[in-house]
Amino acid sequence: MPLSQHKLDPVTKQSPRSSRGGLGALLISALLVSVLVLLDLPLNAHIVPPEDLHPAAESYRRLNFLLNLRPVPWLEVGRDLKVIDGALAQVVEQKGKVTGLTVPEVNGLDLDSETAWLLEPQESQQAEGREVPGIREQQLLAQRTFEIATRKVSRALVLELETAAASISDHSTALGHLETARQLWAAFEPTLRSTDRAGFQEAGRHWLEMTSALGSPGILGIGATPPKQQEFEHNARRLGEYLNANFGASFQAPSGTLAPLPAHSPTFDRDAALPAILPPGAEINKQLPRPRQILNMSERGVDERQTPLIALGDMAFDSPMIFGEPARALGLSCNSCHNKSITNPKFFLPGLSSREGGLDVSNSFFAPHANNGHFDPVDIPDLRGLRFTAPYGRNGRFESLREFTRNVIVNEFNGAEPDPVLLDGLVAYMMEFDFLPNPALRPDGRLHTGASESTRRGEEIFYRPFEQMADRSCATCHVPSDHFLDRKRHDIGSVVGAAESSRDGAMDTPTLLSSRHTAPYFHDGSLPTLRSVTDWFNERYDLGLSEVDLGDLTAYLEVIGDGVDPYEDTLHTLESELEEFDFFLSAYEFLASRGKSDLIDTTLVTIAFEIRAHKWDVQDARLLPVLDRLAELMDEAYEANHQGESEMVADRIAEYRRLYQENVEVLR
Amino acid sequence: MIARTTVSERSWRPLGSGPSRRSRWLRSTLSNMGLLILCTTFLWGIPADAAPEPLRIVFIAYQNPNQLVEDVRPVVAYLEERLQRKVEYFTATDYAAVVEALRNETADVGFMGPLQYLLAHEHAGARPILGEIYNGSSTYHSRIFVRKDSGIRNLKDLKGKNFAFVDPISSSGYLYPLEIFVEAGLIENRDQTDRFFRRNYFAGGDEQAIRAVLNGFVDAAGIGQYSFSLLRGEERDQVISIADSKPIPSHCVVVRKGLEGAAANSLRDSLLALNEGENRPLLKYLYNVDGYVEVDHQTFAGTEELARKHGFLPALEPSPSEEPASKLDSSGQRK
Repeated sequence: MPLSQHKLDPVTKQSPRSSRGGLGALLISALLVSVLVLLDLPLNAHIVPPEDLHPAAESYRRLNFLLNLRPVPWLEVGRDLKVIDGALAQVVEQKGKVTGLTVPEVNGLDLDSETAWLLEPQESQQAEGREVPGIREQQLLAQRTFEIATRKVSRALVLELETAAASISDHSTALGHLETARQLWAAFEPTLRSTDRAGFQEAGRHWLEMTSALGSPGILGIGATPPKQQEFEHNARRLGEYLNANFGASFQAPSGTLAPLPAHSPTFDRDAALPAILPPGAEINKQLPRPRQILNMSERGVDERQTPLIALGDMAFDSPMIFGEPARALGLSCNSCHNKSITNPKFFLPGLSSREGGLDVSNSFFAPHANNGHFDPVDIPDLRGLRFTAPYGRNGRFESLREFTRNVIVNEFNGAEPDPVLLDGLVAYMMEFDFLPNPALRPDGRLHTGASESTRRGEEIFYRPFEQMADRSCATCHVPSDHFLDRKRHDIGSVVGAAESSRDGAMDTPTLLSSRHTAPYFHDGSLPTLRSVTDWFNERYDLGLSEVDLGDLTAYLEVIGDGVDPYEDTLHTLESELEEFDFFLSAYEFLASRGKSDLIDTTLVTIAFEIRAHKWDVQDARLLPVLDRLAELMDEAYEANHQGESEMVADRIAEYRRLYQENVEVLR
Repeated sequence: MIARTTVSERSWRPLGSGPSRRSRWLRSTLSNMGLLILCTTFLWGIPADAAPEPLRIVFIAYQNPNQLVEDVRPVVAYLEERLQRKVEYFTATDYAAVVEALRNETADVGFMGPLQYLLAHEHAGARPILGEIYNGSSTYHSRIFVRKDSGIRNLKDLKGKNFAFVDPISSSGYLYPLEIFVEAGLIENRDQTDRFFRRNYFAGGDEQAIRAVLNGFVDAAGIGQYSFSLLRGEERDQVISIADSKPIPSHCVVVRKGLEGAAANSLRDSLLALNEGENRPLLKYLYNVDGYVEVDHQTFAGTEELARKHGFLPALEPSPSEEPASKLDSSGQRK
C-alpha cells in the first residue's frame, strides 16, 4: 500500500510496532545524517560523527592537544587562544548587561611577552630577528599558556553560571546562559571523568539540579513551573567552587602531560590514566565513497581460505593491536590511513597534518621516542601496486617493504617489536595490492590506439626532453614501461623548508598509475590537481608550454592515472566487514600449527574489537545479540588461549564459524 | 511573544539533513535573541493580481535556524508550485513559539509533537493534518533507560533512586514515562514522583537525560526511544531499557484554527505526494522523515487521555461538543 493511502487509527487501538532502531535525532549524529543524505546513501556506513562542542570548549581541547606536541604548533595554539579570549570577552559583556555591574578583572589571565610573540606568524618573528626557543623552553611556555587558557575557560564558565543565576526570573535568558556554561564544561569533561570520578558525578548532579531549578514557562502557560532561585544558586555556587579551586587563579599545569587535572579535589585520583582522545577537528573516518581494493589473488580467483599468511596480514593491517599507545586506544590501524590500500584523503589530525590526507609520522604524540623534532607532514601514499614501487617512504628511505613496515609499527606508532611471522603476513598481504586496471594502456605503458588526439599530444609532451630539465623528459623518471617510476630519489625543488646544504629535497619518484584517484599530489600533498602539477613543472622549469599543451599533458596524465571502477557501489557495510573477519580467522589453524599463541591473541582481540566497533551498523537490531555472541566467542577463545586450553580455543572458533554461517544471509 | 528554546522533546527526531552540522552553542545564542526569522518568499508563475493570501509556515529549528532557512527553500518552492500560492515561512526555536504563532494567527501551519499539538488544539483550536513516519513507523515509544551494570532490572527497583525526565512539556520525556510508572502501579499521578524517587530531575534534553544515565548522575531516565542513538556505539553497550511506553503518535503537521479547508487539504495532499515520485528527495529537508500519513484529532486520542489524566488538559466537561477555542479569553487562558 502506498504511504499516501495510509490512514492512521487512534494509537490506543494500535498494537505497538517494533522499531529497527536507526537514527533518531540528532545532535550527535547530525553530521552523519547530513553527509549521507547529501550523498543519497543509506544510513549504515560506519562513520563516527564528531562531538558537537562550544567553540571555546573545542578550542580548549584542541589547544590542550597542541600544547603537548613538540615542537608546539604555536600559530595554531594562537588561533585557539583567540577563540577562548573571544568567548570570555563575550561572557564578561553579557554578565555586565544582565547585572548592570562591571565584571572585575582577575589576575593570571595574561600571556607574557615571550609567549605572545611565539603566537605571531613566522614572518614577524623573523622580522624581529628572534629565534624560536628550544624544546625545553617551549615546554615551560606551553605550561604557562595552558594555565592561562584553563583559567580563562573556567572563569568564563563560572561567570556564565553567575549570569544565569542573576537572570533566573527571565527563563529564556537564564536557560541560555546555563546551556553555554554546560557547553563550556565539556572542555574539562573527558579529563574529569577519568581522574575524578566522584567529583565528575557530583558536578553532573549539580547540572541536573540547576536545570530543574530553572523551572519552565510551559506552553501558553500550561505546565509552567516557577524557578527555585536558592536551589539554583546553591548548585551554581558549589560548581563554581569546584572550578575555582581546581582551575582558578592558582591552577598550575602538571609538569608532565598537560591536562586539566583537578588536583585540589579531595577525590582526585592521581594515578588515573588520562584518556586517549584526539583533538576536535580530527578526522579518522574512512572515506566515502568506498574505494575499490584490488587484490591480485582475488583477481586470479584464488580461494582466500587457502592463503592464511595473507589472512594474517589482512588482520594485522586492520588491527590497532599491533600498535602501541595511544594509537591502539584510539583504534588506529594501517587501514585508517590506507583504507584497503587506498589513501584516505580525509584523514586529518590538528597539529600533525598540514592538510587533509597528510600526517607527520615522526611526531611526539604517537611515538615520542622517535620524534624527529620538526613538523614534516607527508601526503599519505596510496599503496596500490606496492610491490612495484620500492623504495618506500616519501623520501625513499627504506629499500625493503618489510623494514618500512616494521618502522611504521615500532617507531611511528609505538608498537612492540613485531613477530617475524606477523611481518611476513603484512608484507604478503600488501604485495597483493594491485593498481586499478587501465585498458587505455598497453603493457609497455604506451597508449592504446583509440586515444584522443589531445591525449596523444599529451603523450608526446610527456616523452619530450626539455633542455630546462637537463634534457630529461617526464618519462625519464616516470618510466612508462616500468609502472611510471624509476625507483630513484630526485630533488625537483618541491620541498619547502629543507635545511640548507641538506639533501632533504630529494623525494622518491611516485608512480602515476591510478593517480587520478589519489589527489592531492607531491610528497606533501601541496598540489590539489593533476593540472596544478603540470602548471608547477611548467613554471618551475620554465618549459614554455602553452595552455593547449598543458591541457593535453593533463589529459594524458588523467588517462594513464585512471582505472576501471575506482569506487565500490556499496558502503562499508557490516556484511563485508564480517566476511573479512571470517577471513582473518582463517589464519587460526596456520598460527596454531606454528605455536604462535601471541598472534592468535592478536587475531581474536582484533576480531572482537572490530565486531563491537561495527555492530551498531546492523540494520535489524534484533540481530544485535548474534553480534554480541560472536564478539563474546572471540573473548572466550582469547581467555582460553591465555590458559593454554587449545581445545577450548578451537571449540570457540568453531562455534563462531557456525554461528556466523547460520546468520550470514541476515547480518547486514 | 517568541520564547527562547527549551529542549523539550525536540531532539528525538533526525536532524533536518542540512549540508552542515549545526552546533548547540549557535542555537543557544540565536535562541537567546528570541529568534523568529521571517524568510524570503518564492513566487513561481503566480500572477500578482490573482495571488491569494500567502500561506505562512513556521518550521521548528532543532539546530541552526539560518541553516533551516536554506534547507527548506526547495520545499517551499515545491509547495508554491503545487499550491499556486505564495508561501512565507518562519523558523522558531521552540514549540512554545510555534504554538503561539498558530494561536496569534501569525502562522497558518506548524510542526510539533503530540502534547504540544493537544495544547494548541485545546487553547487555539489548531488541528492536525499529517503525521510523520520514521523508520517505517508513525509511532514511537518512550523508554526507561538504566545502566546495564546497575543491577536495576525492573521499575520497582527504581524506588528511592534518582530519576531524570526530559522536560515538563514533553510526550516522550515526561507524559509517557509517567504513565509507565502509573501502569506499573508504582505511582498514581505525577505528584507522587517525589515520593517514589529519591530525587527526580528535568534534564533539559534527550541527550542530557541519556547521558545522565550513562555517567551515573541518575539511576534511570524516561526518554524517547531514539535518544539511544545519541550515544556512541561503545556507550550504547552500557545502557539498556527496562520498560516501554504505549506507542506515541509521531510529530505532526498542524494548521491553525480558521485556515480554510481547501488550503489545508491542498497542503496535506502536496506533502503526501512527497511519499512517492520524483519529489520524494525533498523529504530530507523536512526533518528527514520517511513520509507522511493522514491524521486527525482522533489519532491523538490516547495522548489526550493521558494529558487529561495528568493535568496537562482539563478534565472533560459534560458538553464536549463545544468548540474548544471559544473557551479562551483574549489572553488565551481558559474562561
